[in-house]
Amino acid sequence: MSVIKVSNLTKTYTDTEVPVHAVNGIDLTFEKGEFAAIVGPSGSGKTTLLNMIGGLEKSTSGSVEVHGQDISKLSSSKLIDFRLYNIGFVFQAYNLIPVLTAKENVEFIMQLQNWDKTKMNDRTKAILNSVGLGNRMKSKPNQLSGGQQQRVAVARALASKPQFILADEPTANLDSKSTNQLLDIMEKLNEEENITFIFSTHDQRVVDKARRVIMIDDGKVVSDKVKT
Amino acid sequence: MMLLKIAWRNIWRSKTRSAVVIFAIASGLVGGLFASAWMNGMANQRVVNTFSLETAHIQLHHPNFADNFDVKNTITSTEDKLAEISKIEDVKAVTSRLKVSAMAATANKNMGVVIVGINQETEKEVFGLYKKVDSTSGDFFVSKKKNAIVISKALAEELKVKIKSKIILTFQDYNGEITGAAFNVIGLFKTDNNPWDKMYVFVRDVDLRKVVEIPKGQSHEIDILLNDYELAGAISADIQKKYPEILSENWSEIQPYLSFITEYMDIYMGVFMIIILAALGFGIVNTMLMVILERTKELGMLMGIGMNKKRIFLMIMFETILLALVGAFVGEIISMLLINYFGKVGINISSLAEGLESVGYSAISYPMLEPYRYLEITILVILTGIVASIYPAFKALKLNPAEAIRTL
Repeated sequence: MSVIKVSNLTKTYTDTEVPVHAVNGIDLTFEKGEFAAIVGPSGSGKTTLLNMIGGLEKSTSGSVEVHGQDISKLSSSKLIDFRLYNIGFVFQAYNLIPVLTAKENVEFIMQLQNWDKTKMNDRTKAILNSVGLGNRMKSKPNQLSGGQQQRVAVARALASKPQFILADEPTANLDSKSTNQLLDIMEKLNEEENITFIFSTHDQRVVDKARRVIMIDDGKVVSDKVKT
Repeated sequence: MMLLKIAWRNIWRSKTRSAVVIFAIASGLVGGLFASAWMNGMANQRVVNTFSLETAHIQLHHPNFADNFDVKNTITSTEDKLAEISKIEDVKAVTSRLKVSAMAATANKNMGVVIVGINQETEKEVFGLYKKVDSTSGDFFVSKKKNAIVISKALAEELKVKIKSKIILTFQDYNGEITGAAFNVIGLFKTDNNPWDKMYVFVRDVDLRKVVEIPKGQSHEIDILLNDYELAGAISADIQKKYPEILSENWSEIQPYLSFITEYMDIYMGVFMIIILAALGFGIVNTMLMVILERTKELGMLMGIGMNKKRIFLMIMFETILLALVGAFVGEIISMLLINYFGKVGINISSLAEGLESVGYSAISYPMLEPYRYLEITILVILTGIVASIYPAFKALKLNPAEAIRTL
């Protein structure tokens, strides 16, 4: 059974002079443990598609099913809970909570999920060690480099063991070294924890690492290739 | 706990802005609390002085005495009543007085006065007038001279008399005859109530009783001092039941103005603080709206990763309340220090002394605020914080996470 099933998904923005079809009838499925990249030029609809898969935006029509549940029909409150327990997000601009330390940022989602304190502590330490930041737990985001902040963001997304992780241009603000480090970490965690990763990107380094590459343009899938 | 931690740390993200808000809240509270304490101190002094000099806490009279001060309208068996009343729980002290309307005359002027005949043994236990005679102005019946009289400095000035001067008092005696007697001034007092000072003169009970021919065992007034003035209503009612033939009145019945002052101060302080806090509330709302605007991206991210609306709302509410509480804490500490300091040294507005004393207030006032007022203010500040957070919090909840995350 697929983790995610996207069926005839469309998103049309009507608040412009001319209606804009950002996503135009996309059908996709993602299996457990995939490491997939959605690529395409700017304005092709990558982020909109990712946002609809993550329940951050409502579709105009079509459906997004996660483990058989159509999330496009959920109320905004239920969607928030759904995101909390099922999806990990990694954003382009890291988006850590600036007043919390690296450890507290990673613990944040687990705290929202009311994890047991000891388990949460062990998990946080393990995941921060996995991303190479075991020695920076008490650092606040402004004391970390961009690459380190993004690794904390990945740790935060992964910590609560979500169904899948959506990463919107996660390497866009990183230099080559940090990008490679981050991709290696995400690939390792994908393999170790068997968590599905879906990226939107136009970074060739991400595309090279991805095991499946979905190309979209003008809101439509133009190619969908699985590397062998 | 986590939300409180984030809210607390968020306050210090923009130190300058938070400092401005904290300063605004603190100065608003200092102004409000100090002004309230000053007014409260003045009112309290007025009340305490009235108890100490004029009314005590409870007074007993013949039911018709107040109509025309008829010397025949007396309380009988005074000694027995004094003994019985002094045994009542929470009665601190009790004394009796004679009161006679009279004309005071000197070579220069005649003035209408009320002669108060005091019982030397018990007067000082109930009233503090003796403290108002300073060492350079004679004494309050320490000397044994017969027909001695203590009058106020204000009356002495009007009558142009001084210590050892003679005053002729003319009045109607117990038999209805107009009679008079000469009294020697042995002391001059001064209170903060100028009209009262000019109205009352004090002589010994024995001297007045003799010239007015009031039979032994009769008095015009019994004055009762309690351990707590707030018990006056209940104890007065009990005494009234015990002695239905006489009229028992508590201080708020004798001087309704005093009751008005104490109640008015509560209302005044409440309204004053609510106005100040409402003004501060608008400032807090404005600050929190700025915070929401600045943190749109962050709030969008929080909603995106699964922080529900209730938690977002609480986080903003906690931040607002904590910000207001820090301001309140600073303001209350400064207020406490100021009120304690001026409560000891007093605030002297002698330039307004004449006007203030004409309505019974002292020119030197001692600000005071009951400790529970600080607790009340803290609760009001928390309520202000809660109310002030509602609009910004709702603005935050209306954010679309996907759009908010995209904001720069």
